[in-house]
Amino acid sequence: MRLGIVRGHVVLNSAVAAFRSKTLVVLEPVTMENLSAANGLGGGKALVAIDELGAAKGQMVAFTEGREAANPFWPDAVPVDAYCSLIIDSINIHS
Amino acid sequence: MFLARISGTVVAATKHPTLEGCRFLLAERIESDGSTAPEPIVIIDWLGAASGSTVLVSTDGDIARTRLGNTTPARMVVVGIVDAVQMPESAHGVKA
Repeated sequence: MRLGIVRGHVVLNSAVAAFRSKTLVVLEPVTMENLSAANGLGGGKALVAIDELGAAKGQMVAFTEGREAANPFWPDAVPVDAYCSLIIDSINIHS
Repeated sequence: MFLARISGTVVAATKHPTLEGCRFLLAERIESDGSTAPEPIVIIDWLGAASGSTVLVSTDGDIARTRLGNTTPARMVVVGIVDAVQMPESAHGVKA
């Protein structure tokens, strides 16, 4: 999983049936530099993920990418490749 | 699979129900020249890897699905704790 900051939500007008009533968030992945500095910045390339946890704008999440992102909808076939798995409370960096 | 260095621990109260009770670590992927990737990753650890140690991470979710059920989004899992990496031709090498 990578870390991402929720920057917004996506609303779809028409979508494939599997996406109905799913929440989509825009995530900005976080680099180690920004995470260490705790400056609230991301630094990575934005992507859209499905969120079932209710992450709010500005919160940090850990998101799964790839085939495993669709596992929560098993056995349904849902064309998802990013899924919010954790809402981060804190990260303790030991260096 | 790839090598990563454990750089911290992650606390998350709100999570996918299948991930309840898992230990999450912050890790940095190690490149062949010994440098680390710009973006850190969050991995699941069942082996008890310590901070600062080098681990082998698998990006296949099969082991997670076996343990946590078919609906788990877990993917990156620590599958080994590295003792040593032998790379004689590498200028810097990876320190375990």
